[in-house]
Amino acid sequence: MSRYVIGRIGQALVVLWAAFTVSFILLQALPGDAILIKFLNPELGLGPEQIADIRASYAADTPLWSQYLHTIANFLTGRFGYSVQAGVPVSALLLANLPPTLWLATFGFLLAVILAISISFVSVLLPLPRLRAFFHSIPSLFISTPVFWLGILLIQVFSFQLKLIPVISPGPWEVLVLPVLTLAVPISAPLAQVLMRNIDHVLTEPFVAVARAKGASHGWVVWKHVAKNAVLPTLTIGGILFGELLAGAVVTEAVFGLNGIGSLTQHAVSSQDIAVLQALVVFSAAAFVLINLTVDLLYPIFDPRLRIQKGAVA
Amino acid sequence: MSLTSRFRNRAGLALLGATLLAGSASWAATAWAAGADETPVKGGTLIYLEQQAHTNLYPPAGGFYPNGGILNQITDKLTYQNPQTLEIEPWIAESWTVNADATEYTFKIRKGITFSDGTPLDAAAVAKNYDTFGRGNKELKLPISEVINNYDRSEVIDPYTVKFYFKKPSPGFLQGTSVIGSGLVSPATLALPYEALGDATKIIGSGPFVVASETLGRELTLKARADYNWGPAKLSHQGRAYLDGIKYIVTPEDSVRIGALLAGQADVIRQIQAYDEKQVEDEGYLIYAPSTRGVNNSVVFRPDNPLVADVRVRRALLHATNTDEIVSTLFSTRYPKATSIIAKTALGYVDLSSKLTHDLEKAKALLDEAGWRVGASGLRQKNGQTLELSAYESLPQPQNKETLQLVAQQWGKVGVKLNVLTADSGSATVNNLDPVKAPVSPAMVGRADPDVIKSQYYPTNRNVLLQKGGNSDKVQSFVDDKLNGLLEKLASEPDRTKRLAIAGDVQSYVIDQAYAIPIFEEPQAFAAAPYVKGVSFEAVGRPSFYNTWLAPRR
Repeated sequence: MSRYVIGRIGQALVVLWAAFTVSFILLQALPGDAILIKFLNPELGLGPEQIADIRASYAADTPLWSQYLHTIANFLTGRFGYSVQAGVPVSALLLANLPPTLWLATFGFLLAVILAISISFVSVLLPLPRLRAFFHSIPSLFISTPVFWLGILLIQVFSFQLKLIPVISPGPWEVLVLPVLTLAVPISAPLAQVLMRNIDHVLTEPFVAVARAKGASHGWVVWKHVAKNAVLPTLTIGGILFGELLAGAVVTEAVFGLNGIGSLTQHAVSSQDIAVLQALVVFSAAAFVLINLTVDLLYPIFDPRLRIQKGAVA
Repeated sequence: MSLTSRFRNRAGLALLGATLLAGSASWAATAWAAGADETPVKGGTLIYLEQQAHTNLYPPAGGFYPNGGILNQITDKLTYQNPQTLEIEPWIAESWTVNADATEYTFKIRKGITFSDGTPLDAAAVAKNYDTFGRGNKELKLPISEVINNYDRSEVIDPYTVKFYFKKPSPGFLQGTSVIGSGLVSPATLALPYEALGDATKIIGSGPFVVASETLGRELTLKARADYNWGPAKLSHQGRAYLDGIKYIVTPEDSVRIGALLAGQADVIRQIQAYDEKQVEDEGYLIYAPSTRGVNNSVVFRPDNPLVADVRVRRALLHATNTDEIVSTLFSTRYPKATSIIAKTALGYVDLSSKLTHDLEKAKALLDEAGWRVGASGLRQKNGQTLELSAYESLPQPQNKETLQLVAQQWGKVGVKLNVLTADSGSATVNNLDPVKAPVSPAMVGRADPDVIKSQYYPTNRNVLLQKGGNSDKVQSFVDDKLNGLLEKLASEPDRTKRLAIAGDVQSYVIDQAYAIPIFEEPQAFAAAPYVKGVSFEAVGRPSFYNTWLAPRR
């Protein structure tokens, strides 16, 4: 058991280091940098000498390897550097932007799970084949819905036409409703697709036939025997979907004009704010690793067979 | 020379209940006249939706519209430029004298004015501001203001008299004291480094509004200053602002800004595209499109790139460009077709429309003459090279990508290819300063003084042609000494008549060299709810909410 956990943590650290290094190299390889972009703005009217002075004050022209070692040492001690664009420490930006995205992502994911489960089970339990086929096709519709378009549509309908929720200066809960829905719909689609396929698969298993033979109703079989078994592979994809969640947050936050990691990423990319981007990459990689680790550790709870195997490994 | 604004203003019209008003009445006159028969209501918070977040609030960075829209509410200026007459009127300065060759300016400062941190706004504070704006501050990375030329030093004569000395005549300086880029800030603000001035709460001005709170990149709240009593002397409104506060909310999405305005969630929005104007007006909302009165929205060449080094090639492309088609296809009557490199309402304007004709045959002949022949691919070639150019779109300019794409289609008719590149990544800023990567570029700038032409073209200012010695280190050799000489004369000729004549010479020279293809006179387009009264704009189209009030909503 302990070797298994240590192994997983070791892998996680290697992934983090690789993410850091690859992103460092890629970000450095881009032409220009945040300092140039900010100070080359023709409206400032700075000459090349002044720009060179400013660059020197940021130590922007020291050799790459020394910048690399310097940055990695700082990251290890929890210092993420300064945002050139905003003029504040990166850690302050992350701290300020993390909570809204966390709420958005958490509620978005929960709603996606609820949607996926509802659609999947309704599509199995409905008596009419035509209705079942209709529900079966919903995930394909959802997965091909662009987040951007959906966000604008929801704003137009619920905020501007029906005037139910303001998008400009909304209350603390109102602010979440439409963005959460926008984020949840496309995320629910792959979840529902996997869940449906699993349900269909489990329904063909011998133990289902046995349960039916004992006289259990269709609904009872689905709830009691199929659901638990079908949920398992869905968990794995749930972990992978975290990336989608983050990508969705970028667009959702842009459309709704929200603060968060997504809009921070967008601004950092457009101003090539390397320190911020570097921290965001490492942060996302860390979150990804953590979530997938959690999913791995959750598996045994849902599947007793894994508990026995786990004992055998340890 | 008196200039009258010729553009039509639907806002004022709607208020008057008329359908159309053309001619010499400016928006300011109509809007204020309309407001006169209604008594202003005090109180309320104005919700203002801005397309982009502000970048830096060091006053000389106020040229960027999101910056200027905030600075104009929180800072006062030494003088006030009447947006209607373009005359310079007293504000923080009660009176002033200028010597004959415009090298010495003396200002008498109004008494009893304080910055919002309590520091008195006196001669010493004014001197400190102009020493910083005029000379920059290397240590704090504060750049020199582009509106102040030839600045030498200041002298505090007595607590309420300050004198400025210039190394060479600086006739544009008086107007320069009235622009947003010369907003006066507390010495405490000027002691901060440039990068700290992105934080609006650090900007301490003496204006009618004060920054109350800020969520970086998202939201900014201003509240009215109760003891404000030093607005421009000739305005009918004196004392504190009518509004209690202004809330700026950054809303990048066009459709969300317009939808929120029409749904009653916002009061004023900035940047509304021509194609959305009808929808807004049909709902009874108002569009304000004040002119920026400066260098027109143009396409400029970077002659350092050998492809556009030949004046015949540039001239050919000028004649291949159909500005009528661009204006009628993409814009509305609020975007008048350009007839010089500066707007008709700009000081020193001369009509050069006879040199700006659309003439495909002439274009083709010029390209043939320059040795560019149509090759097998339909594109012009010379010595194995294809005449293929690139330009990066400019995000702040209205429908700039569409404009460039239309230009590309038009140039395609004479066998020249123009690639329109998106500016969605930061590297576009850097690439746009490389004549090899961006031989063509969109450009515009607003300011109601002929110095604006120097701002746009002079190497150590905006340097749109990318001459050597400016902000780009990628330039090999291109310098136009004749142009620079003219620009220096323009910025230092104390005699008004002579100065305006030089402004005319510069316009002709730029067009004769075909350095720029002017397209349209760019307005700043705003939309506002009908109950928002007394909306006004300074001389180059940035809003001022000092006089604004909210009538009861019907």
